[in-house]
Amino acid sequence: MNLRECLRIGWRSITSHKLRSTLTTLGVILGVAAVITFMVLGGGFSQSVVGEIEAEQEPVMTVHTQTDPPDGFGVMLVDTPIYTESDVEALEELEGVEWVAPEGSIGLAQTEYDDERVTGVVEGQATTPDRFEHDEFVDGEPFDWADEAVVSERVNDAFEGNLSAGEELTVTFEDGEERTVTVAGVVDDDLGGQSPPLVYLPVDEHHETTIETPDGDREPVYQSLVVGVESLGDVDPAQDAVTDYLAEESDASELKEDDDEIAVQTIEDAVEQFDDLVGQLTAFIGAVAAIALVVGSIGIANIMIVSVTERTREIGIMKAVGARRRDVMQLFLVESVILGLIGAVVGVLVGLGVGYLGVTLLEWPMVYPIDWIVIAIVVGVGVGVGSGLYPAWRGARVDPIEALRHE
Amino acid sequence: MITSPLESLSQLSRTLPTGTPTTDVEDGVDPVTETSGRPVAAAVDDVRKTYYLGEPVHALDGVSLTLPAGSFTAVMGPSGSGKSTLLNLFGCLDTPDEGTVEIGGEVASELSEAERARVRGTRIGFVFQGFDLLPRLTAVENVALPMVFHGRQGSDRHDRARGLLERVGLGDRLDHVPTELSGGQRQRVAIARALANDPAILLADEPTGNLDTETGERIMGLFRDLNGEETTILMVTHERHIADHADRIVHLLDGRIEEVEGLDPNERGGRPRPDPEDRVDGSGGGS
Repeated sequence: MNLRECLRIGWRSITSHKLRSTLTTLGVILGVAAVITFMVLGGGFSQSVVGEIEAEQEPVMTVHTQTDPPDGFGVMLVDTPIYTESDVEALEELEGVEWVAPEGSIGLAQTEYDDERVTGVVEGQATTPDRFEHDEFVDGEPFDWADEAVVSERVNDAFEGNLSAGEELTVTFEDGEERTVTVAGVVDDDLGGQSPPLVYLPVDEHHETTIETPDGDREPVYQSLVVGVESLGDVDPAQDAVTDYLAEESDASELKEDDDEIAVQTIEDAVEQFDDLVGQLTAFIGAVAAIALVVGSIGIANIMIVSVTERTREIGIMKAVGARRRDVMQLFLVESVILGLIGAVVGVLVGLGVGYLGVTLLEWPMVYPIDWIVIAIVVGVGVGVGSGLYPAWRGARVDPIEALRHE
Repeated sequence: MITSPLESLSQLSRTLPTGTPTTDVEDGVDPVTETSGRPVAAAVDDVRKTYYLGEPVHALDGVSLTLPAGSFTAVMGPSGSGKSTLLNLFGCLDTPDEGTVEIGGEVASELSEAERARVRGTRIGFVFQGFDLLPRLTAVENVALPMVFHGRQGSDRHDRARGLLERVGLGDRLDHVPTELSGGQRQRVAIARALANDPAILLADEPTGNLDTETGERIMGLFRDLNGEETTILMVTHERHIADHADRIVHLLDGRIEEVEGLDPNERGGRPRPDPEDRVDGSGGGS
């Protein structure tokens, strides 16, 4: 029996039970749609964060402390300051390292701009002008003296304003001290909208956190470091050198908690780590969604068994007019494959639709997870074959004499 | 075309007086296997079939029957006499425990399952009591179905199915599904389907059992027309007036042939052959 005829007959029998067929495929539709939706959302999230970064490769790396979170998923940043001034100086001496900019957080109670005050939203960070070497300035330039500040573009969101170089900003520190600074520049260092609004202040003037080093001295200490490298070609050896130093000789290695880990990352590393995290998350959610697929395939198997029983007499007639076992088998298999395939295709469309809606609302870019779409279709066909196999086999070995006696 | 088998049939009925028990060989002529020189369409030879339903039931207990090409044989008998089993053997739906079944020159018991399916599809046409059309297919598609399994080309199939439906008088009901047809019309579709692959033999199981008398008679008229066109027919029935349309009636009892009754072709169906004028009128008739 040729496939076209088989498809036609199978399609006819599916459409003659519209409600039943719809409900049967619903399981597969939901499963596939859920998987595709999560893949679109995951991909969109990833793209929104990573997309702009990948374009610009810079000879910069960051040094921060991280640890495994208690729930064991992804990584967690540790903000205990452990990088001492001696570490900064030692790192600057390493081969290939051009500069080292420390980052220390400053508690800001309030920030005031243009008669508007916000409390707690804007964070302060003490650093050196070097830190901005590879950043893009929307306006102005890095600060170079005590009463200047650089603000991140997102500070605009906090004030719903449009800060530009030369304007004044009043910051209130946690100890109550007030300070008016001039905005030297507005920097675009936002990684996909993930960082908070930041006011960068000169480290010499504003950083006061110190610690007793293992040598017994008292030194300023920082939460993280930004390391500038001479050229892109020096990044790899410099990364190794920095990692080695921090792991073996630094004060930081002595000051850190045992479970904490000092991470030296280039932007690429950070992107990779982030992608990994998002990938793990989407795969996990996808796996949950895949359970719906299993349920869907059981639904198809169930309905096909019912269908075989219902059509026992029809099978008898077909055998009486010359259908071979494989013809009958093919007929039922084609029917269940059509159901699975329709489920997968509709599921992909629904998934893309819901995903599109989601990324549009969240203002992430739309991503078409081609590989997952292909997987979904293959799985749909597989579900059809898998769940149709047993019913089709049962149909094929129906005894025509029994079947023709069957009412 | 019609006359030559009729002549030989009348010879047959002369040698076999109606109502005479004929299981014994008389004058060297065995009425059960005698073909009057015509080719054999299908034959069973000494077939036995036993079912075990708690205790053995001999559905067929040594039956031999030859169907000459162009013959019309009715099988009668009480229920449990083996009628259906005999039909299933001729239909290649079942195989005998002993003995041979030969359809159009092929010995069925030597064939594989798939080959028997092919024989069913190409050499045999079935007509059932319940018509048994596929409910979701139109008349044309139902008729084309055996050709589908036989791998015939689409347009070719369609043309032939249409031709067959016209032949049984349903040229105006081609695209109707079974529920839109009357019982008589459905049985005509079933007959057209049975003829789809030009079978050597048409097997009918109580073909008029679900029809009213008048429609039943019309279907029998169609059978006789087909028989007149050289189609070999084996029909199981329990109604005497239906069986009367055949050339001969085989009476089965307890799995054995009790009697073979030859009928006078001029008085078949209790009346002369219908005029060509009122043969197939296309109206079908209701049920």
